Amino acid sequence: MSPPRHDRALVRPHVVTGGRAHPTRNIFDLVTLVIASRTQVAGLSPEKRKVMELCQGGALSVAEVAAHLALPVSVTKVLLSDLVDSGHIVTRASAAEPAEPSDHLLREVLDGLRARL
Amino acid sequence: MEQQLLVAAVCCLAVVTFVVVAMLVRQRQTTKRLRNRIGLLESGVGVRENEIAHLVTARLPALVQSLNGRPVDVPGPLNPRLRDVPYGRHLDKVIEMFSEAGGRAKARADESAKATLKAMMRGVQSLANEQQLAISRMQAQHDDPDVLEGLLKIDHMNAQLGRRAQVSAVLCGSWPGLQRSASPLTDVVRGATSRIRDYLRVQVHSQVSDAVVSRAVEPVVLALAELLDNAARHSQPNTPVEVNFQPAHNGMAIVIDDAGVAMTTEELKRAERLLAGQETVDINRLGDPPQVGFAVIGVLAARYGFHVSVDTRSPYGGVRAVVFLPTGLLTRIEDRPKAAVAAPAPAPAPARREPVPEPSGAPVEQQPSLTAGGLPRRRRVSTADHNTNAAPPAPAAAPGRPAPQPGSVPPGEPVRPARQTAAGLGAWQRGTRSGRATVSHDSEGKSPE
Repeated sequence: MSPPRHDRALVRPHVVTGGRAHPTRNIFDLVTLVIASRTQVAGLSPEKRKVMELCQGGALSVAEVAAHLALPVSVTKVLLSDLVDSGHIVTRASAAEPAEPSDHLLREVLDGLRARL
Repeated sequence: MEQQLLVAAVCCLAVVTFVVVAMLVRQRQTTKRLRNRIGLLESGVGVRENEIAHLVTARLPALVQSLNGRPVDVPGPLNPRLRDVPYGRHLDKVIEMFSEAGGRAKARADESAKATLKAMMRGVQSLANEQQLAISRMQAQHDDPDVLEGLLKIDHMNAQLGRRAQVSAVLCGSWPGLQRSASPLTDVVRGATSRIRDYLRVQVHSQVSDAVVSRAVEPVVLALAELLDNAARHSQPNTPVEVNFQPAHNGMAIVIDDAGVAMTTEELKRAERLLAGQETVDINRLGDPPQVGFAVIGVLAARYGFHVSVDTRSPYGGVRAVVFLPTGLLTRIEDRPKAAVAAPAPAPAPARREPVPEPSGAPVEQQPSLTAGGLPRRRRVSTADHNTNAAPPAPAAAPGRPAPQPGSVPPGEPVRPARQTAAGLGAWQRGTRSGRATVSHDSEGKSPE
């Protein structure tokens, strides 16, 4: 998922999560939306600050946050569950309001897929 | 007549007697002189023999020892008077030639040992790098926390392994390898933290916005890792190792404090000598187990122009190591997330749905905005961004583009390239480099509608 240029990331994931691999809560999947609920970022690690910065403007999915941080999704989940624990972000299930996609959008997606395959 | 004969005989006798006496006396004197001379020569030979024995039993062995790197003084001749005679000078010449030949042989052996070690370490290094790539790929692929836990451990061990190989290679005169882009100081310190055993004890307190220039990233990371490792190794397992940044007027100091044992005066002297990086590192004199930390820091500091000192006591009783990076090694880079937020293409939903006839020249600009899967990536919409974007659509359309029909192009469409053009090539490059910064919402536009 991460592009190759991050494969040699300077800061390795074990430092990012402090060696933890298990998120404190099991509430995230790829499309869970996270929203910042606080603005202060004092005392947070650089990665968590980035998450807060990213989520300040609106909801982002877990997958997007992971992509922005250039971290594996599983590592991102550990960070996000920490942030939920500390009250910095809140989550929202992605399937909350699936605005019915228009025919047009579906057609465009179909065309896109055809063009790719 | 008879009387005359008698007189003559007496005279003869007297003369003969006199001659015999004289000869005897002379003989005696000669004998005495010769005996003296023989005595002198004998003692001279004795002195020389002693000298030779001294050369063989004391001087040459001492020389051999000193050539082997032990701190032994080579003694001078036994009899100082010999220094001024050719014999003594020849002996000195022997010593000189011996030490010269020994030194040359040792230098050659050192060189070849270093070359061999360097080549071997290069192999280990590249294996560690490959392994890191594999680990990173697995980390990205597996979502199971149990798998991740194992992977994190392997990653940690691999990082340490890579560092060991790197350090050995650097000691043998190799480059640290791995070219990196300029990185924030905080990341550099945490990168160093990633590579030591007790990484959880390292606490980075202050935050600074400075970054380390590209060519110095890896060397500084290596030096910091050695210092952090030293600090963690020489302090209690339950004490923290603190890292602070101290801006100075012509650079930045990274201060590492541990709460362990202080260094003795002797150790400090050795450390100072090694950290200065002035002498070439003799890989045979690193001790057993080899103490490579300060030696490798000295090599890196001298080569890349930063300065490391360990001569202050930390307020916690341990050692305070200070890495001073001069301004020449510092730079500023734009914060990545900010770049990502600044660059997004605000594509309002209606615009996206428009079938867009792709102008032929467009792919050049659109190229970097393709996602890995080629599908449009969802983006937060910032209204402010959108408004400012709508204004300058002209520049994008201008440069030699086969008329993109400005009227039919949706507002979000050519706007992003225009803004990037306006922001200049530099910003555009940064955007593409960060990869996530650009969005393709019309990458499928080429398909016939």
